[in-house]
Amino acid sequence: MSMPPSTEHARSAGTAAPAAAVPSVELRRITKRFGSVVACDDVSLSVRPGEIHGLLGQNGAGKSTLMKILTGLVVPDSGEIMMAGRHVEVNDPQTATALGIAMVHQHFSLVGRMRVWENAVLGELGRVDRDHARRVVNEVGERYGLAVNPDAYVDDLSTGERQRVELIKCLRRRPGLLILDEPTSVLTLAESRELFSVLRRVTTDENTTVILISHKLDEILHATDRVTIMRGGAVVARRDTAGTDARDLARAMVGREPATWTAASAVGSMDALVQGGRAATEGDVRLRLTDVRATARDGRPLLSGLSLHVRAGEILGIAGVEGNGQAALGDLLSSLLDLDGGTVEVGGSAVPTGEPGAMHRAGVGVVPEDRHASGCVLDMSVAENLVLTDLDQVSGSVLVSPRKLRERAARLIEEFDIAVPSPDTPMRLLSGGNQQKVVLARELAARPTVLVAAQPTRGLDVGATEYMTERIHQAARDGIAVLLISTELEEILTLAHRVAVIHRGAIVGEMTRADVDLERLGLMMGGRAA
Amino acid sequence: MDSVELILASAVRLAVPLAFAALGEWIAERAGTLNISVEGMMLGGAFTAVAGAGLTGSASAGLLFGVAAGLLVAFVHACFSHRLSVNTYVVGLTLNVLVLGLTSFLLLKTESRQVDKLTIPLLSDIPVIGPALFDQRWPAYLLAALVPAAWWLVRRSRWGLEARAAGENPQSADVTGIDVNKRRRQALMLCGALAGLGGAYLAVAEVGTFNQNMTAGRGYMVIAAVIFGGWTLRGTLAGVLVFGAADAMRLALPALGYTLNPQFLVASPYILALIAMTFFATTRRGPAALGRPFVRGIT
Repeated sequence: MSMPPSTEHARSAGTAAPAAAVPSVELRRITKRFGSVVACDDVSLSVRPGEIHGLLGQNGAGKSTLMKILTGLVVPDSGEIMMAGRHVEVNDPQTATALGIAMVHQHFSLVGRMRVWENAVLGELGRVDRDHARRVVNEVGERYGLAVNPDAYVDDLSTGERQRVELIKCLRRRPGLLILDEPTSVLTLAESRELFSVLRRVTTDENTTVILISHKLDEILHATDRVTIMRGGAVVARRDTAGTDARDLARAMVGREPATWTAASAVGSMDALVQGGRAATEGDVRLRLTDVRATARDGRPLLSGLSLHVRAGEILGIAGVEGNGQAALGDLLSSLLDLDGGTVEVGGSAVPTGEPGAMHRAGVGVVPEDRHASGCVLDMSVAENLVLTDLDQVSGSVLVSPRKLRERAARLIEEFDIAVPSPDTPMRLLSGGNQQKVVLARELAARPTVLVAAQPTRGLDVGATEYMTERIHQAARDGIAVLLISTELEEILTLAHRVAVIHRGAIVGEMTRADVDLERLGLMMGGRAA
Repeated sequence: MDSVELILASAVRLAVPLAFAALGEWIAERAGTLNISVEGMMLGGAFTAVAGAGLTGSASAGLLFGVAAGLLVAFVHACFSHRLSVNTYVVGLTLNVLVLGLTSFLLLKTESRQVDKLTIPLLSDIPVIGPALFDQRWPAYLLAALVPAAWWLVRRSRWGLEARAAGENPQSADVTGIDVNKRRRQALMLCGALAGLGGAYLAVAEVGTFNQNMTAGRGYMVIAAVIFGGWTLRGTLAGVLVFGAADAMRLALPALGYTLNPQFLVASPYILALIAMTFFATTRRGPAALGRPFVRGIT
């Protein structure tokens, strides 16, 4: 029972797209399992030549896996791929390239310590011709308005520029199909708009087909011709973009009527967030950073004179494009980073930086950006993970008390509603949402006066996102000073009382939630004073 | 003046076997393998070269046997660390111990055979640097071709671009359509051939016979040279020369009448490497994925 292409077309008749008889790409009944998890369940997708096709879904809906199948990075268990009406086997990335499929990955596939032109020719065959490669980078850059210096090292470029390189790398091969995976997550508002106009040019001028993967409703509505919506590994709806709206899409994507602002945050619709600012409370300053400076090992500046303060009961949102010092800020408050200058004060007294455990002892709890790298130990049990930062609670100077360990774990599992068969279950077996709950539970159980939440909902589904959002709010109501570091503007607007913008390792502007003006915020995030 | 000339000549002579191996190690490391077994490759090369020379009666043919032995060690290492993804240090150490044991066990008495000296007329008469550069055993002059070839291969060729990508960011390289582990295996094989040649040179060009554990840590010195050189070819060769010079001093100073603690001089290359690392640790970085196995699909 495959989805017959004719039905597809009948349903979407009336769009501006040319009425092509043969779809450019067609995926038929694709299924892929990873162990017991079904990433793609009988998925069919049909994309017309020259259209921008949106693939909408929450994190974990199977969008990325589907596209990895199309680019040969993942081989499906069953199903068929058709290109221009012919059956094709895509078993490795080389084949995909040969078929004219190019993909801009969410985490760029660039080699940082190579030059732009070297990256542009990476993965091709034949002799390396430096001058030719440089020329091509410039030509493609000019044609699409993606100017970048071919001799620059990728490491020295901003994330926006890196994406240009990634696009140039794809476009120079004149692909028939261009896939972009969450391309705007690292871009400012202005850069996103620029990207969409490039995509439009690519489709109209060269009849390239574009698939845009996103979990943000706004950009799907803004940039696509048609949209396919996935949930839980299956296609749940197909729409013409012109004939739908944010509410309709959100319902299809979440599977129920989304609650007001929490879901708006998860699905990336900013309209719902523009009104409604909550006033900040006037508590004592709990966390104060004064002119902090730090450099990376290779001499690049990480933080350059950053100052901020957070009051008790307040949520300060740090907005900014990824790679502008957010990671360093999180590391600093986890005692992972030593400073070249400046001070960190918690509750009015200075805390030494870079000294293991000092921040934690001073009352700073951290939900780190990458929970797998620094939030938890995947091969230890849930109970053990729950006490990692707070061993005094369950042990004397030598021995850990298994009884206390279990009791404490049981209490926290109940309090934080963590879905886990037993406290002894290895962390690795938990879903992302539950892993994040464990991290949050552990940090809050230590009764911090300051909570740092870095990208707290990254990679979580809507339910878990709602939970985290509510918990962070609760923390602030309980009088904790919350520093929310996020690259998702929606998340900041949902939660923060006050918004500060980070750019190149410093705070470049600040406004209260009630005064937020998206245009101005966007300019600040792009580094232009406003 | 004479003693300077003497020490310099001896420094270059001692640096030549290191230089062969260092070229290989540099290539392997740029592709992401911190190849510990370079010691075993050299020792195996030295042993096999002497055996091969005895077998064929030609010291030059012995060099080819040495290359073959290096390739064999490299092949085993490559299969373990870039097919089975076994920790590369464990594989390397195992191979080193294995080669040391095997060559000690099979230790054979052969008559001394050495390849010929090739003294370049006129040039070798240049004061100070003449004897160092133009009065060596003939295989040493191979370096004049191998060094630029290695540089071109890594820095300019398609293969080198892909190998460097494999060493810097294997995930990205994979996504781009490069077979990361294949490139690493190939780089390791090149390293095996060159390190085998270096070991063979030590045996049939410099010494003339095989002694138990005759490389005596020269492989580790090669690894130190690559680090000393900050993973650049120029720096690596400079490192090799510095270590060669330290070795030459060890031999020359007592002969010249200076009394210096010989143990200290034996240790001096490593002390130099440590000092170098102290200074370069913060400014120079090796390939980002150096020593980390690559397994597809982990994101």
